[in-house]
Amino acid sequence: MSSVKNRYWRSVEDLTSSSEFRDWMHREFPDGASEHLTENERRNFLKVMGASFALAGLGLAGCRRWPETKVVPAASQPVNRIPGEPVYYSTVWEFSGFAQPLLAKSYDGRPIKVETNPSHPWGGAGVSAVTQTQVLGLYDPDRSRTVLARNTHSSYPAFSEFFNNKRAALRAQGGKGLAILTDFRSGPTYADMIARVKVAFPQATIVAWEPLARDNAILGTAMAFDSPRRVLPAYDKARVIVSIGDDFLYGSPDAARWARQWSVGRAVDSVDPTKQQIARLYVIENGLTPTGMSADDRLAVRQSDLGIVAALIAQGVSAGADSPALQTSIAAIANSLAAQSVLDGRGKEVIDALIADLKSHHGTSLVTAGVSASKTTHAMVAAINHALASEGATLTYLAEPIEASSAGFAALCTAMQAGSIDTLMILGGNPVYTAPADCGFANALTKVSTVIHLGIYADETAVNASCSWHIPEAHYLEAWGDARSFEGTLAIQQPLILPMIPEGQGGRSAIELLAELLASDPVDGYSIVRRTHVGLSGLTGPLFESGWRSWLDQGYIPATNWKAMPTTFNAASVAAALQADQAVLTAPSSLELVFLRDMKVWDGCFSNLAWMQELPDPVTKITWDNAALMSLQLAQTLGIKRGDMVKISSEGRTVEAAAWPLPGYSDASIGLSLGYGRTGPGVGATARDAGFNAYTIRTTAHPDVATGVSMTRTGATYAIAHTQDHGASDALDPKVPLEGIQERLPTLIREASVQEYRKHPDFARHVTHVASRLSLWNETNLDGAQFRWAMSVDLGKCTGCSACVTACQAENNIPVVGKDQVLRGREMHWIRVDRYFRGSDAAKPESFAIQPVTCMHCENAPCEQVCPVAATVHDADGLNTMVYNRCIGTRYCSNNCPYKVRRFNFFDYQRREPQREEGLMKVKPEYYVEEGPDVWLRMQFNPEVTVRMRGVMEKCTFCTQRIQAAKIKYKNAWAKAGGIDTGSSNFSIPDGSIETACQQACPTGAIIFGDLNVTDSRVAKAHRSGRSYQMLEELNTKTRVQYLARVNNPATARESSGGAAHPDSHGHAAHGHAEG
Amino acid sequence: MSRFLFPRWTNALLPFVLIAGAITPLYAAFFVAYGLSPKTLDVGYQPVQPVPYSHARHVGKLGLDCRYCHTTVDRTAFAAVPPTQTCMNCHTQIQRDSPKLEKIRQSYESGMPMEWVKVHKLPDFAYFNHSAHVNRGVGCVECHGRVDQMEVVYRFAPLSMGWCLECHREPLDRVRPISQITNLAWDQKTELTPEERDSLIKLYHINPSENCSTCHR
Repeated sequence: MSSVKNRYWRSVEDLTSSSEFRDWMHREFPDGASEHLTENERRNFLKVMGASFALAGLGLAGCRRWPETKVVPAASQPVNRIPGEPVYYSTVWEFSGFAQPLLAKSYDGRPIKVETNPSHPWGGAGVSAVTQTQVLGLYDPDRSRTVLARNTHSSYPAFSEFFNNKRAALRAQGGKGLAILTDFRSGPTYADMIARVKVAFPQATIVAWEPLARDNAILGTAMAFDSPRRVLPAYDKARVIVSIGDDFLYGSPDAARWARQWSVGRAVDSVDPTKQQIARLYVIENGLTPTGMSADDRLAVRQSDLGIVAALIAQGVSAGADSPALQTSIAAIANSLAAQSVLDGRGKEVIDALIADLKSHHGTSLVTAGVSASKTTHAMVAAINHALASEGATLTYLAEPIEASSAGFAALCTAMQAGSIDTLMILGGNPVYTAPADCGFANALTKVSTVIHLGIYADETAVNASCSWHIPEAHYLEAWGDARSFEGTLAIQQPLILPMIPEGQGGRSAIELLAELLASDPVDGYSIVRRTHVGLSGLTGPLFESGWRSWLDQGYIPATNWKAMPTTFNAASVAAALQADQAVLTAPSSLELVFLRDMKVWDGCFSNLAWMQELPDPVTKITWDNAALMSLQLAQTLGIKRGDMVKISSEGRTVEAAAWPLPGYSDASIGLSLGYGRTGPGVGATARDAGFNAYTIRTTAHPDVATGVSMTRTGATYAIAHTQDHGASDALDPKVPLEGIQERLPTLIREASVQEYRKHPDFARHVTHVASRLSLWNETNLDGAQFRWAMSVDLGKCTGCSACVTACQAENNIPVVGKDQVLRGREMHWIRVDRYFRGSDAAKPESFAIQPVTCMHCENAPCEQVCPVAATVHDADGLNTMVYNRCIGTRYCSNNCPYKVRRFNFFDYQRREPQREEGLMKVKPEYYVEEGPDVWLRMQFNPEVTVRMRGVMEKCTFCTQRIQAAKIKYKNAWAKAGGIDTGSSNFSIPDGSIETACQQACPTGAIIFGDLNVTDSRVAKAHRSGRSYQMLEELNTKTRVQYLARVNNPATARESSGGAAHPDSHGHAAHGHAEG
Repeated sequence: MSRFLFPRWTNALLPFVLIAGAITPLYAAFFVAYGLSPKTLDVGYQPVQPVPYSHARHVGKLGLDCRYCHTTVDRTAFAAVPPTQTCMNCHTQIQRDSPKLEKIRQSYESGMPMEWVKVHKLPDFAYFNHSAHVNRGVGCVECHGRVDQMEVVYRFAPLSMGWCLECHREPLDRVRPISQITNLAWDQKTELTPEERDSLIKLYHINPSENCSTCHR
């Protein structure tokens, strides 16, 4: 194995070249993908087909020449509403208390997609996958649509009547026995309503709580300073970034923003390459995250040992130099017995390099701690940043408006158990599912006589026997509100559509329900929000109206961001806290279970959104499930293989989950993400039975990591649908020796260290030698084209976050296929984000590579040569187009595509509910009826893109609908201005006016699209860069998508690197290297 | 055994069977080519509309411009069918009590939209843009015919892909100055010389695309 120096691999199976991997690779679609009817199913199939022919016959009987369609214009046309023209509205979505500034696209009154709001100070940084998916949530067929009274259908008037009586009783007692449990809400309107509730019901208990809170950061900064602080990092200003368990590029609501900042420091565009500098990222983490994959130097240590690492760094940079007490307590941790075994040889090397870097970068370095790191780690990080003079330079401290919440929630549970809560209002959230296991929340709920639940779904809490009322909540696109983004900028949440809930069945927002509780006027969200902003702005009359209009128009209220809050570092307090926690921080090593935050389903509230379930996890590439992640070494020690069911026990509680050994994991650490494993009543069809429920083992005391756990095999196995081996362009022939395959991989992924880049700025062009440019067939003649559309993907900026995949799915009506189909390799995403491990040791990969792969739009396209019906052909602009109405589904094109980017519709997926279990015949009867199952989901469709049917091939179109829209717009304007009489012989499209959906969503701006004919367009410049290369250029496909090779900045030596793989002795001019 | 044989008189039928056998494939081919062609199936489609609105009266006799009602035709993909409001701009004054307008008045008062029957329908995978054509000198009449003479609107052209391509390949006969776009009676073939039409093609850089991606997305 070690004979190949430069090893990239997709999975352990790939590295060891297991027979399963070879089999998978050998076929275009895996075994049974084309024929998977068992004998039984064949019979069923005939039955169903018989039935469907009968139905078709009925249809024919009523057949007329024309299926009549109606044109339905509005009775009175609203101003500025043009049929078929999308309109954008600014709004915000509040994600766990953080407003995401958005522009929502409305098509004939239906919101169908969201983009970032570039005019918002916190916007302009792409949109994360989960934020985009909320649009799907609006149309979720499983959404709650009726008021439930003790789990039977009721109505809102009935609830109002009940509530009126209840209110009188509560008021008489001054709110005694009333408790309100909400999720995090940052808006002033909500704060105002709560203040009013406190006045009307002075004895009421109000608790803001979410299962995935930031308690440790809040408590940790409270130790370091006089009060809790919110750390506002400026990754773009830092030259050295050290992340202690902080997945800032992916694992937080505002990750897109942080990723954009980080990408600034990674830009490789110096005029003089020999002086190129890029920022350096160190990541110390227990598992593997997109941030860890993007790191220059990465260390895997147990989550419980992050405190020791922080202490070592603090000691190294002489944190608390003016406080002997702090120095002593840091030293006590850093020099403890436990600390001796945390770092191995490489670990020490990395930490030493990191400390040296930090010391030489005072004021230009930044150390961050993850939300799951202990509070004392956060305090130590504050001490380190204090020592490094980061404040004001690379980070700012703001006041923290959110309070640490877990203690408040535990107290509420105790009060409920004690019977002192009579009425509980749950505004959002699903505590029956998400509450810590030791709270016994469901049991406590039985002691409360009236439970009122407001939620988007009739979830576990809503259908619980103790829940008196469930009110369907209005989606954020249906309700007025306001919210603040991370740095405080206030924005109005503007609805685009009335609640899609029948009249008299609720569809209320939290503020409206609070208004109902107060029986105050007004009760509608719009008036409530306006009242707050009249108060806040101090404006009245026309002045307020014009302000209000401009806030809605631009999507935020100017100058409302929080100002930096000066801090005084309290060394004594940190020292005392460290001393108190020393025993915990330096506890002897034991097996730990880390509760991971899943950015697809979050705490479980998004688990019914099919886009999120089907999106491959950026790291594991698992879809439709979570899994117990662990290191290869741990799995081997316990005799666990991939897909084995394991039982994890902690403090007498157990959870069973499928095991997934993952290279790069720290030993003695298990990771299991929250938000899966929902079963039973109240769970939507998509979320049901997906994965394993980690909440059953999570306690108030250990919400982030449980130590001293044990793990055993149960003997059962579980099939996990993953995509990590899908679409590999290598290993086509089982007889090709492994080394031969591996030699090709550096040509797919090209990277170099910044030192190598300074010597060879065009290193990426010298990795392969393209012997000749002979073509097997007549090349498409694209001479004289007005446009040459092309794309550039910067691998140095890509974090693998998969926002592009979801954006593409939303824009291009890409169906969800279900777990069963993913297992068969039939996922439909047009973009595949490949993740490679690198290094010769499967357990400890030395680095990682990420590469989004979509249709390359080859000028010399192999797919076009084999299509028998010319269903895939070139257009004059060089797009490789796919003509659905010609396609007859031979799949030859996919077979001949070297990049494996074509997707085939094996079924009418849009009319079929995604299936978890195997079996063709498990589709519902609606599948065979013309209208299909539920019309709700179709309302999200983009009318600009054809909805593909069964039996046709599809693939990336470069968002041809957006290109056409721009062409028509600019040519119309040119023709209206006088055509050729304007002096220009033809129209032109300004660079940057066409953005593909993936480009628009990309947080780091890694994707650039444009016209190569314009020599100073961004894409043309990118293609001319020395870093630019074509994938598999030796095939002479002349791809229009090119990659910009990644430039790393590792502080410690690696086995080898991409650039150095090419012997320096080769002269640059001696070989015919690719010239775009 | 003999009862399983055809009787002798059936031999006389043989020539007819052979002739029918020879003609049937020909007929089938003929039927598919002509009978199922959009020229046969689609042209002349004339559904009954909920209100007997006469284009002949409003456009032909009264001289309303197409764009009075189809306001978005030169700006967007769709030439919007007008809201009820547009009808009532005049009919609050004229023909106020006409029984034919009962449904219009109901819609106006209740705010519930009119449901007109679509005449010009394209398949879902074909995307036509009105503004791209009317801003380039392709008049309404080219595709919609003499709507000003239609009492009830019918489909004038097959709107099939082959028919679209006829013009995309040979645009010379079909361009006119933008000033005459909605003038249905005006015929560029008689009013303009081929040279004049050619200069229009140059003026608007008319280079009709035959790429799949132009209409299929």
